[in-house]
Formats: sequence, C-alpha cells, structure tokens
Amino acid sequence: MHIIIYGIINSITLSLISLGFTLVYSISRVPNFAHGALYILSGYLVWLFINKFAGFPYPFAIIASIGLTAIVGALIYRFILIRIRGMEISEIIATYAIGLAILEGLRWGGLRGGTFTLPTFAAGSVNLFDVSVDYQRLIIVGVGILTFVLLYAFTRYTKVGLALRGIAQDERAAMMLGINSDMTAIVSLAIGSALAGFAAVLLLPLGNIVVEAGYNVLIFAIAVCVIGGLGSWGGTIVASFVIGFAQILTEAFISTHYQMVVALLAIIVTLLVKPSGIFGKQKELEERV
Amino acid sequence: MRRLVFFIAIFMFIVFSAPLPSVAAEKPIVIGAPLATAFLYGWDAERGIKLAVEEINKAGGVNVGGKKRPFAVEVIDTRDLEPGVPVSEALLGVEKLILEKKADFLIGGPVRSEAALAAMDLLNKYKKISILTTGVLTPAYHKKITDNYDKYKYCFRNTSHVGVMMNEFITMLEDLRKTHGFDKAAVMVQDVAHARAGGEAMKNGLTGKGWKVSDVKIYPTGTTDYSVGLNDSAKFGAQILFIWMDMPESAVLLKQWSDMKLKSLPVGFVCAAEQPGFWKASAGRGEYLIVNLVNGGNAPAKITPWTMKFSDAYKKKWGLEPEGYGTSSSYMAVYQLKDGIEKAGSTDTEAVIKGLENSDIMGVYGRMRFDKKSHQIIPSLDPKEGAVTGIIQWQQGNRVQVFPPKAAAGKVLLPPWMK
Repeated sequence: MHIIIYGIINSITLSLISLGFTLVYSISRVPNFAHGALYILSGYLVWLFINKFAGFPYPFAIIASIGLTAIVGALIYRFILIRIRGMEISEIIATYAIGLAILEGLRWGGLRGGTFTLPTFAAGSVNLFDVSVDYQRLIIVGVGILTFVLLYAFTRYTKVGLALRGIAQDERAAMMLGINSDMTAIVSLAIGSALAGFAAVLLLPLGNIVVEAGYNVLIFAIAVCVIGGLGSWGGTIVASFVIGFAQILTEAFISTHYQMVVALLAIIVTLLVKPSGIFGKQKELEERV
Repeated sequence: MRRLVFFIAIFMFIVFSAPLPSVAAEKPIVIGAPLATAFLYGWDAERGIKLAVEEINKAGGVNVGGKKRPFAVEVIDTRDLEPGVPVSEALLGVEKLILEKKADFLIGGPVRSEAALAAMDLLNKYKKISILTTGVLTPAYHKKITDNYDKYKYCFRNTSHVGVMMNEFITMLEDLRKTHGFDKAAVMVQDVAHARAGGEAMKNGLTGKGWKVSDVKIYPTGTTDYSVGLNDSAKFGAQILFIWMDMPESAVLLKQWSDMKLKSLPVGFVCAAEQPGFWKASAGRGEYLIVNLVNGGNAPAKITPWTMKFSDAYKKKWGLEPEGYGTSSSYMAVYQLKDGIEKAGSTDTEAVIKGLENSDIMGVYGRMRFDKKSHQIIPSLDPKEGAVTGIIQWQQGNRVQVFPPKAAAGKVLLPPWMK
C-alpha cells in the first residue's frame, strides 16, 4: 500500500513539474529550458513577499508570484524568443541561457543556504491504510488532479484554449483562421511559466528553495516529456506515472541509490525503442516522412 | 582670511597625507582564501577569517621580527561545491590567489575533498603554506602529509575529519544506549563519497559495538522523498536514525520524520540543519535533531572562555550567530597563523612551518595544536587537551551543545512521542 500511495504522490509531483514545459512545447514548439529557473523564481518571489513585506498574506503572495512568473515568461518570448522563433538550436541555447541567468542571478542575489522555505498549507499527517502521509502531499495530489481537469477543460471549452490547440495542431491553418501565432505563443509561455510557478508553490513547502532544485526540475521535466512524447499532454501524465512508480519500486526493491538512474535509463530506453515517446504521434509522423 | 584658510588647508593636507606610525604603514601579509562562497561552508569561513583579521589588525597586527604588520584578505570563489564544476576550476582559483593576488598564505579551502587533495601539489609547487579550515573531511588529506612530509609539509588542517567524527558519534550513541537502552539504528546517507564512507564506517562501528544496524540507504543528491526509507526504519524498529547529507533537500527528510512521528532520534551530519535559521525554516520540525558541526564554536557554547567571546563578536559583526561548519576553524586559523609567524619571527615559509608545528594556543574550541607529522589538528573530548567537536541538539529553537560531556551545555532530549 505504501508503494501505491507514494507512487501516486510521486507521479503527480512529476506531472505538475512537467506540465508547463509540455504546454509551451506543444503550442509554440519552443523547448523552454528556463522552466526550472522560473520554478525557483516563483518560489523565491513568494518567500520575498511573505518575509520581506510584513503582513503580506500567504495566498496573495502565491497569486502575485504566479502572476509575476507568467509575466516574466511572456516577456521572455516577446523580447527574446520572438526573434529566433523556429531556429530550434537557438531557442534551446537562448532559453537555457535565460535559465542560467535567472538561477545564478538569484544565487548571486542571496539565495544561498537551506533557510529559504515556504510554509506548508497544513501541518501534520494522517494514516491512510496504515501509511503515514503528510497533509501537504495530500493537497498536492488533490490540487494536481484538479489542475489536470481544469487544463483539459480550458483547452477544449474556452476561446483562448481552442486557439492554443489550433496553433498546436496546424499553425498555418490556424493563422488563416485569424489566430495570431505570436500572441498565442506569448500566452503559451505565460501559462507555461505560471504552471511552473504553480508547481513551485505547491511543492517547495515540502523542502526548501535552492538554486540546484531548478536544474533538477528541468531534468525531470525533460525526462517526462521525452518519455511521454514531446508536446503530448496525455503522454506527460502517463510518463509521470511510469517514472514515479519506477522510482518508488526501485527504492523499495532494489536500492534508493538508483532512483535518479531509473529516470535517465527510461529516457535512453525510450529513445532506443520509440524515439518519439509513448504518445509522440506528430513527431512520429515527421520521423516517417 | 583667505590666507588663513589656505594655511589651514595646507596643514590638514600635511597631517592627513603624512605616513601614520601605525600598523597600516607596514606591508600587509596577504591571506588568500579559496572558498566556495555561494555555500555555507564558504561564506561562513570568509566571515570568520575577516572577523579575525579585523580583530588582529585593530590590536596592532602581527609581530614579525619586531615589526607590526597587518593582515589583508583576498577571497576567491572556487565554486567547487557547485554541481558539475570541475576540480580544475578550484585549482585555477588557488593559482590565481598565489600568482595574481600575491597571497603569502592560504586559509580556507578548496572546500570539496577532491579539489583540496589536488591543490596539495600546487601548494608544494609554489611553496605556500595553507591551513585548511572547511569542507574536506577525508582522512586522506593528512595521510598524504604523513606519507610524504617533505612534499606536503605546507599543508595544515585545523578542522576534524571523518575518522574522528565517527568515534565521537559512536561514543555519544553508546552514552545514549546506557541511558535509554537504544540498540537499533538505521543509516541514511547522500550519494557522495564522504557520506557513503561515513555511513559505512558508522554501520561497521556500531555493529562492532553490538548494535543492530539496517542496510545503509543511499540517496541521490536532490532526493525529495524519503518515505520508503523512513518506513523501513520504523519497521526495523530503529531508535537512532543516522543521517549523513550535505544537500539542502535533507530538510525534506527531517520534515517527513517529524510529520510521521517516527520513534527514532535523528542524529548526524546534516548541512541543512546547521544554520541558525534552520529551526524557523523547518517550522520547528527540526526539533530534537542532533547535528555534528565538526568543530566547537560553530554555535554558541561554553567550551573555553574564548568561545562565547567569538560568538558574540561574530553576531555583532555579521548580525547572526556563528553559522555552521567552517566558521570557528577559519577564524582560529588566522590566529594560529599569527602565532606561527610570530614564533618564526618572519614570513619565511620554512620558518613559519616550524612556527605552526610549535604553535599551541587555547582557542575557541579547545587547545589547538597541530600534529607535527600529519599537520592535523589534535582532537580531544576535553577542551584542555585538544580541539573538541561541536555536537548540538535543536532544543526549542536553540542549538544546544550536548557532546562531549566536558563541553556540553545541556543533555540530549527525546521527542515526546518516543517516550
């Protein structure tokens, strides 16, 4: 039972980390390598609001931080990525450089040591089927599932969401129907960054805000997206569960030592067996052509 | 009137531009500090060094053969604790301090063991004396000096190492066994060389004393879920949870331990829990954790009369208590160097080596003297005999020294759910 409960928690954690990266790639085809940096930036902003501005309520700090992170994402596209759109290598280099600048800038600015933490939404734990689980992790599971549902509804039942899907499916056809490609990409970067920020405010209260976590988040987001199929939402969720459970099973039956190796091994196996990922249909078509 | 103003101006110019007969007139002795300044073990060492230099200069400087000379500090960021940064980066930093910054002596790092071991050859090449004060817990450092004294005689270390720390931990746990009847331990370590070695040594040491010890759980750097290992430790019936981690994510482990209310006492080398801000950052869930700060004085304590004097001075200058491993040792290294230079009567390398070998001062964490063959600080459980450790327990938001008994300010407390 422990494996099932913590496997689900681990999987939803990975999904939350990866959703923003997937969304940006699926719509704008920009591999946002600044994703991990935006995750840490958002967490740090919340910390700043509640620690440096006395009396700033925690919920408002969260909303303000996610909003600011979304703006940063939009600005990254508007002022940098728009000039190199379509040049994939340049996009990777540019986003990675932006990520480095943000993370190392935060380190330089004082984000050092293990004392930067966010309060949990609820302290304490509960026994589920004789397995102790803290409330924060239960909240992560609940909010994570709700996020998937809301995102699904957003992309299917709202005008903006449908425009995003239109661009993701066929950019030229969507443009012929009057959908502004650049504006859609800006919106996708903003939402993707907001999702990174959202994941940060949910997950960072479990530990602490450290620059190194930004690099780890990026590695896991890429691992999930490569295995699930770049740009595939369903693939992201399935891959999160594959990696999440593989890690817990490895920890329980082999050794804790190999947890990280499992994720990286899964990337190699996926690239060898199905380079487009589990649900990477569009990429698969391109490969066939 | 204008003439009067003119003469006053000339007079002021002469007064302020004339060389002062003070310490500042002499050529400073440059201390190069190669440190990973973005990490606790780097920035706290830098602060310790700067505090000592300020105190010494204020008191007149170093007496070098009758002339008072001030210290000056040049710090360089070796980045050797950052993931993915090669050892060569730290070596370049050391070389830059020696060649460009004209450092006369080195104090501090490199901080990562691999980098410090590699830097020993550089110190030999440039005949520069270094006192290692932070990071680097490997016994290989002083073993290299013992094995090849002529080549590595320039290297000194005034901080503890894994071999000593293991014995201290085992002695402390044996005390707990006598008091509370504990005899089962679980070991959780980070996947880095010093932690793996520490975990294995701890397992072997405790098993040798008759303890039942679970398999060592090794966690990759960056792990954010320890539930499986913690559950296993509970099933095993561990009363001691021995942790050896220098990654910030170890705070997650402690939060999970606290939330799960495991009937085990966490003990170990936990970098994330060293700093004064840890208790607040963990929302009090680090309460009862026992941490080895490697050297005494890295938290307020009453080890020697100098300990609290140092702690208060540090707080006055930097606005917070001594922060963790590397603070007191880096501070003391400057005083040891001063003593060594004064004994030598010059800054000549060979003379200062002899001066340091004969240096014997009662410092912040006990009697401080180097072993003449290994240049390793001589440890002891009695501050009158040697350098003592700083094993503290978080009690109501304070870091209370609980070991060794001769330097302890309080007793080990158990979480209420363990009673």
